[in-house]
Amino acid sequence: MNIQTKSQFVAVASITSELSAVMVVAKEISLAAANAKAIAFRAGDKAKGFQPITDFINELAKETIELVTSINVYALSLYQLTVNEYRKTIAYNKFELITELSKGAAYARSMEEPLEKAKITMENCQRQFKRDVKQLLDQLEAVMHHARAARVIAANSRIEASQAGEYLQSLQAVAESVDKAAHTIHDNVQRCRIALSLYRNN
Amino acid sequence: MKMTKIYEGSHQWIMFGRDENKPSNIIDSNQYAVRTANKCLLMDPGGSELFAPMMAAILHHAPVEQITDLFASHQDPDVISSLGLWDQALSNAKLHAPALWEGFIRHFGCESIEYVPIPDNGGTIKLENIELQLIPAHYLHSSANFHVYDPQAKILMSGDVGSALEPAGTPMFVENFDSHIEKMRYFHQRWMPSNHAKRAWIERVRNLDIDILAPQHGRIFKGDDVKHFLDWFDALQVGVAV
Ligand SMILES: [Fe+2]
Ligand SMILES: [Fe+2]
Repeated sequence: MNIQTKSQFVAVASITSELSAVMVVAKEISLAAANAKAIAFRAGDKAKGFQPITDFINELAKETIELVTSINVYALSLYQLTVNEYRKTIAYNKFELITELSKGAAYARSMEEPLEKAKITMENCQRQFKRDVKQLLDQLEAVMHHARAARVIAANSRIEASQAGEYLQSLQAVAESVDKAAHTIHDNVQRCRIALSLYRNN
Repeated sequence: MKMTKIYEGSHQWIMFGRDENKPSNIIDSNQYAVRTANKCLLMDPGGSELFAPMMAAILHHAPVEQITDLFASHQDPDVISSLGLWDQALSNAKLHAPALWEGFIRHFGCESIEYVPIPDNGGTIKLENIELQLIPAHYLHSSANFHVYDPQAKILMSGDVGSALEPAGTPMFVENFDSHIEKMRYFHQRWMPSNHAKRAWIERVRNLDIDILAPQHGRIFKGDDVKHFLDWFDALQVGVAV
């Protein structure tokens, strides 16, 4: 296995692990949202501005979880594609070697067709891989978008929290944890994208 | 890859082995082909390292589209780990292999090739006008294991039975049976697990008319050496690691 193939395997496999971390954090956000909702409910009028925000956070967390679930399915199929491409490439290389080794053999030319077929299959695999990587990158971009939105909401939450009197601290803590979680998601997804973007155009 | 014709009649048997370019850390193996007018059967086609040299060698005898049948005596990697590559080269082929090992052998890759499971009591492979018999050789050494008998050529392809571990470049045939014994002893004592299975196989094989006993490793036995081998194996205690 050459370095290019090896790192392609690693890049694709790492998506799944980064995404499972994203999943944990998204669940944390959804928990923070439930927590905030309870506090806002107790705070009553003092946290009026905070209540719609908690719904929004919850919605965002749910969407992120859904998105990551579907990306995971995609990442798995990308992994299978990587395995397939690896197999087809090996076969093609072996078929080329056969052409070399069988020079002068009575039936050497009968390998021409399998060789040609193997080449087409391998190239199709490579094309499909690039296509799928591009789609996965787009989906990851959507997750990043969610993470950025969550950070904006966290900033708004802080402002709203400052109006909440004795609930200030607990609501600020909610805003804090949403911000932190969004930050983690952003970083993890960014790492996936950097690892993958190597394979988009080459 | 060296090629030796070991039978020439209405059809041919060709032995492939002693590949000079084989990495030294993998076991040397013998591959066999039966060639009829329009078809070709490969027996124990070998590990994936051997695929390219094997195919290149076969192209001296048959075009790729006439390789219609493969046979695997058992599931070992030196026997059939090349399957995933044959699978991509052959467009219309069958693999005859033990039914018991189907789920295992498929790990090597078997999508376009049809897996024809051999039941425990054996069967046949038809290749145009010849019929080869699949002789049960269970536990020798694999729990589901078959040998190929050609009643016309009087050849028994005996898988790991009769194998010897020898240095590269060894001659194709046993020349002196007595001096060959030491090269086979440990292999049979250690790889073959059951005296009981060995007994059953010897009884079965003594009823066959055999001119050539062709193992997957080492040298081929001819004429009286076939009987010498059966007598020697009969007396040998196997399964010595316990
Ligand atoms: Fe074996
Ligand atoms: Fe073997």
